[in-house]
Amino acid sequence: MIQLFNVVKKYGSGSPALDDISLKIGKGEFVFLTGPSGAGKTTILKILFGWENFEEGQVLVQGINVGKLDAENMHTLRRSIGVIFQDYKLLSKKTVFENVAFAQEVTNRDRKTTKFKTWEALKNVGLTPKKDSFPPQLSGGEQQRVAIARAMVNAPPIILADEPTGNLDQEISLEILKLFEELNRNGATIVFATHSRDILKLGNHRVIVLNRGKVVSL
Amino acid sequence: MQTFVISVVTIAISIGILGLFLIIFFNLNSFLSSWNQQVQLIVYLEDNISPAQKNNLKNLFGDNSRVLSTEEVSKDRAWKEFRLDLAGKSELDLDLGFNPLPTSYRVRFKSSDDRLLHIREFAEKIRSEPGVESVEYGENWINRFEKFMVFCRVFLMATGALLSFGLILIISNTIRLSIYSRQEEIELMLLIGATPHFVKIPFLLEGMLQGLSGSMLSLGLLGIVYYYLKNEFQTSIEAIAGGMDFQFISQPFLLILVGASMLIGLIASYISTYQYIQVLNKR
Repeated sequence: MIQLFNVVKKYGSGSPALDDISLKIGKGEFVFLTGPSGAGKTTILKILFGWENFEEGQVLVQGINVGKLDAENMHTLRRSIGVIFQDYKLLSKKTVFENVAFAQEVTNRDRKTTKFKTWEALKNVGLTPKKDSFPPQLSGGEQQRVAIARAMVNAPPIILADEPTGNLDQEISLEILKLFEELNRNGATIVFATHSRDILKLGNHRVIVLNRGKVVSL
Repeated sequence: MQTFVISVVTIAISIGILGLFLIIFFNLNSFLSSWNQQVQLIVYLEDNISPAQKNNLKNLFGDNSRVLSTEEVSKDRAWKEFRLDLAGKSELDLDLGFNPLPTSYRVRFKSSDDRLLHIREFAEKIRSEPGVESVEYGENWINRFEKFMVFCRVFLMATGALLSFGLILIISNTIRLSIYSRQEEIELMLLIGATPHFVKIPFLLEGMLQGLSGSMLSLGLLGIVYYYLKNEFQTSIEAIAGGMDFQFISQPFLLILVGASMLIGLIASYISTYQYIQVLNKR
């Protein structure tokens, strides 16, 4: 499902952000990606959804050779991935409902299905009562649940989460983790980047440890 | 919104300049064609022309289906008309003791689009006929005017090209500002799998709308100026060139101006969005 072969990524002339990384994540797996700040967790995720280039190596996602994709065809990769960010990346001028529906509108899904799927996604994350609220009116945990609903609404086979609990307290973080585990039970492959030991302990999943751009343990 | 308005006004000014030149050009053209319809061919005869040579000329005029009428002006009549024309205009003593003017034919032609071309060809044919001293149809003046019209055409095209280039730069910058103001939304669209086409369309439409609004605004203002000038100066224009109507830009050119303006908007916004998406998707 996800394979990286000897991937090297450099920013400027300093030491590489990713230094000869090779790893494999199977279909339906739940994997934690961990390591200190600057270890390369976010860079790997960005490379996986085609938001960053890399200098050497090969990356395969769902059989797509990411390095060979041009700008015009990048959407084919991104439609098979749901991405969740630490800062949620919600549109503050759209309601909760509109934010989730937006992910379907860009794929030209018809209005009726969009409405139905949005309801379903909001129900799964327990946010139907807040559907008309705007993101700034929500708590951090609620905003992250909106982001999860948006990522799952198109039922992508892969979900990448970049420090999704980074801004949340432990109780809310556990709730969010449970949501990811449920998505995983429904068949999605989850790559969950975190530097929180508590989260790693709470979730009993495979852990890939990174340090200074290298894989320390698989 | 502010950048949109600035861009529309800039387009309106540029299209307005082009439109103004077009109005001038159309009216010069119309002046030339109304003047052309009044051109007649004067064939001056040699003093010692024989009756057979005269008959030959008359036959040539008669055989030409596009000749409307032929009038012979004798030496005496020409002299009389000349003196009458000059009376009160000059203090010249015209009592020369002899008549220096030749006998001539005034040949009028039927109206047609290629009337002038035909007169020119016919004049060349007549010029070499025996008994003809010279022919005259305002050739030099017409040639000069036609050269001036060619210059006008080139000038219009060059101005149009320059203004179009300037407009592309202006609109693409406006669209770029518009993109930056919606950067967050565009990045998100691309992140969640929107095609570049999907992201571009609203901006392409915005560029076309700018072009449309700018050209409509400018043509509206030009229309007002045109009707004002027409009301004020139509009588004076008719006095200079009888029967000539002060014209606005013709309908096909109006459509071309609006279409070109929308096309410029489309090209400009395509350039900005294409560059932006390329950078975002392959950073």
